[in-house]
Amino acid sequence: MSISELKLLAPEIIIASGICVLVLIKSIHSLRSINLLPVLIGALTPLVALLSMVSTFNNPYEIILNGQVVIDTLGSGLKITAYGFSILIILATNINQLNNKSELILIELFALLGISILCSASNLLVIYLGLETLALSLYGLVASNRKSVKSSEAAMKYFVLGSIASGLFLYGVSLIYGLYGSINILDFNNLSVDTSIELQIAIGFIICGIVFKFGAFPFHSWVPDSYQGSTNSVALFISTLPKIGAFALLYRLLIDSFYSLSSLWSLFLLILGIASLIFGNIVALSQNQIRRLLGYSAIGHIGFILIAISASNQIAIESSLIYLFIYIIMTLATFIALEVLSSDNKSIDTITDLKGLNNSHPWVALMLLFCMFSMIGIPPFIGFYAKWIVLSTLLNSEMIYAATIAIIITVIAAYYYLRIVWYMYFEKSDIPLMKNTSNLIQKSLLFTIGSSLLLLGLFPEKLISVISQLFDQIY
Amino acid sequence: MLLNSIIIIPIIASLLIGLLGKDYLRLNYFIALFSSLIVFLLSLYLLYLFDPLSTEYQFQTQMNWITQFNIQYFIGIDGISLPLILLTTFITPLVIITSNTSQKKHLHQYLAAFLILETLMIGVFSSLDAFLFYIFWEAMLIPMFIIIGVWGGKNRIYATVKFFLYTFLGSVFMLLALIYLHFKTGSYAINDFYNANLSLNEQIIIFLAFLFAFGVKIPMWPVHTWLPDAHVEAPTGGSVILAAILLKMGGYGFLRFSLPIATEGAVYLSGFMIVLSLVAIIYIGMVAIAQNDMKKLIAYSSISHMGFVTLGCFVYLYSSNDSLNLETTNLAINGAMIQMISHGLISSALFLCIGVMYDRLHTRKISDYGGVITVMPKFGALMVFFALSNAALPGTSGFVGEFIIILASFKINAWIAIMASTTLVIGAFYTLWMVKRVIFGSVVNSKINTLKEINFIESLPLCLLALSILALGLFPNPLFDLMSNSINILSELILSKAS
Repeated sequence: MSISELKLLAPEIIIASGICVLVLIKSIHSLRSINLLPVLIGALTPLVALLSMVSTFNNPYEIILNGQVVIDTLGSGLKITAYGFSILIILATNINQLNNKSELILIELFALLGISILCSASNLLVIYLGLETLALSLYGLVASNRKSVKSSEAAMKYFVLGSIASGLFLYGVSLIYGLYGSINILDFNNLSVDTSIELQIAIGFIICGIVFKFGAFPFHSWVPDSYQGSTNSVALFISTLPKIGAFALLYRLLIDSFYSLSSLWSLFLLILGIASLIFGNIVALSQNQIRRLLGYSAIGHIGFILIAISASNQIAIESSLIYLFIYIIMTLATFIALEVLSSDNKSIDTITDLKGLNNSHPWVALMLLFCMFSMIGIPPFIGFYAKWIVLSTLLNSEMIYAATIAIIITVIAAYYYLRIVWYMYFEKSDIPLMKNTSNLIQKSLLFTIGSSLLLLGLFPEKLISVISQLFDQIY
Repeated sequence: MLLNSIIIIPIIASLLIGLLGKDYLRLNYFIALFSSLIVFLLSLYLLYLFDPLSTEYQFQTQMNWITQFNIQYFIGIDGISLPLILLTTFITPLVIITSNTSQKKHLHQYLAAFLILETLMIGVFSSLDAFLFYIFWEAMLIPMFIIIGVWGGKNRIYATVKFFLYTFLGSVFMLLALIYLHFKTGSYAINDFYNANLSLNEQIIIFLAFLFAFGVKIPMWPVHTWLPDAHVEAPTGGSVILAAILLKMGGYGFLRFSLPIATEGAVYLSGFMIVLSLVAIIYIGMVAIAQNDMKKLIAYSSISHMGFVTLGCFVYLYSSNDSLNLETTNLAINGAMIQMISHGLISSALFLCIGVMYDRLHTRKISDYGGVITVMPKFGALMVFFALSNAALPGTSGFVGEFIIILASFKINAWIAIMASTTLVIGAFYTLWMVKRVIFGSVVNSKINTLKEINFIESLPLCLLALSILALGLFPNPLFDLMSNSINILSELILSKAS
């Protein structure tokens, strides 16, 4: 291992050291009482990792550590996105609300490490390593709300289902190894299309693993439960960053290695995508628990992403990443708004808690309104461009039926987002929400991200071009 | 630059009002009124600078916006969009003037919502890039959803959600059509769409996709049901904007998109469109007779009158001999345009009248009123005038549009014209019967006797509207001169693509 290879691995190393520092602090008595310290380290670690990538970002495509790690612009771009968002998430986490916050931040850094590994792994076992690092931290995060029964139940369910999915994934990996005698994904670039039944089964298992990470249709049941069971701060994390990891996983496996079999997996993804689009949005219509509602809505959004990927050409992958990025911004803004509204002893749990928000917190209500209309896909908010760019891809790939289904479901889905708006604006509250003690950082984050939904919507060119540039190296 | 500032001033004012917040009631009201008046004056200046003989779009601004997809910020106006922009800038200050008397809760948000709406409406009428058009078109749902939902009546949530979902469903199909046209032409500019090379099947499908969007907005017969609900529940200002301008966007869309882009599709489906229009004119007119809620009655009358607009847009395509006639086409489209402007004025006046009565008695039921003219003579006179123009009395603008469209229909098919002209009876029946019960007759209850005559603020918008209805009815020629050249270009385009 040379110094230059180490330099390319700097972000992972920095995050791992950040984790060690946090653990150390936890064990030093005198430092334990300083509330802000873990938050500071939690935010600084990804920031340093991000800065460490500035010099290596334009590095040419490189395979290091005997073909176990690949460095390319897409992987680096995904990592930078993940680090950037994780800084926002850690800062936005309600410091007053949880006593065990330093543990929370510790686990979140572990998850971030897992995502980093996923972004640049080029070996099926390294991918599995990243997958499990991410998955285990997520189980911990979901269970972190110890006082709540729902939280333990959700963590248990998530753990059992997640283990099964990991098992399936690993079985798929072993089948691949049995068939080709290799676990390096770059070896599968030129498989012939005439496929054996074993290969099909293996691909199917691997897709199961990917789809589980995304939380799409047949493997979706952990999503609403774990959102509902966790606090807003945890839901903020698990609803956003792991999706980047899932995208990296999908990208490495399906595009980077098994692209020649795209006729095989694209049908899988199309069916699962349409199913989760329909299922997530229809079930969300009847939800009252707000995190559960957002969980089902996430399933619907993931459906959109999978449908886009199933077109399996360059624009399709680009547009799905744009959709994912926009989805993350919108979800982030929504959950931060819920965080801002939650006070020490009152957390926003059901839609009815939002009644009359326009009277008590007009600006927060406005930001949530931005989020909701953005999620519906109404211009000029950024969410519209996500939908539009995916629809463009579908029409371009002559998938008119998929596009038609997608827009009809979008209209149906509008109903439950509108419900949130109507509770905030049209209803009077029974008990007015108290002016709470949320800190300035949270509020300013909310207004920055919330108004960026509008500003990015007015000037989307830069966002689209930056994301397309990530793919320049590949095609 | 002028057109850009007309688009942007209202939204800047609304930002200012939003930042000032609820503590500065008077100031907010003043800012809103002042900015909307400025916009109106600027639009008059626009009219002054406008050259009716030019064949180009005027006051163009063209800037790259999203280069990857060749999307531009591209605006400009012609003789078809200018009258509608003038209508918008004229109606908005009237709505803002009246908001002071009829609106108390969250006045600053109310004013801001209307100003945002004004920007978006002007944007719709001046976009020359289909993508930009779609953004303005769709974004309008947000302020309207809030206006009906926050300041509406008892059943407002049902009404506003229904409004939102109906129009949203319609417009997403339009989005698909626009994306498809983009792939055909490589651009989103509307002018490039005109040159798209489309087969008949494609044209029919694109026409239907547009029909979803514009038909819901106008609204046409089977998809009209959101309108009575939305009108009844919306606050007075919301009803006025909805009737005066939002409905016109459907007609504008037909003229700007459906007819010139999917012409063969329009020819193929013209019989269908005429049938839908006649159903709207006759059947919805009869439905209006049966209403006992004044706002609902005017809402149904709006649908019936907008049936004339769609009839004017499509009737000339349905000619039995294969030669489509330029003269008839011009006549029909002129009729449709003037009918839109006139309906915008008349229906907003009627909704303002109902708002005046509702502010006093808090009921819209016809049976709760009677003999209003004995206590409010000035108001009664105005209301009778508006009712008569709604019933297309010659000398008012309502007559001009309907007469021209019936005339054009006669040249195509006498039966269509005869059926359309039944509206002169039906329309007179429902409006005059309502006026008879509400304004005339004996005083039905003691509350009527306590009614106060309208004050200056309330009468000002009504008088202005009455004047413009009369002016347009007696001297429609300046409006024709303004539009004729652009309409002629449009007709020639349609005819050249249809044959």
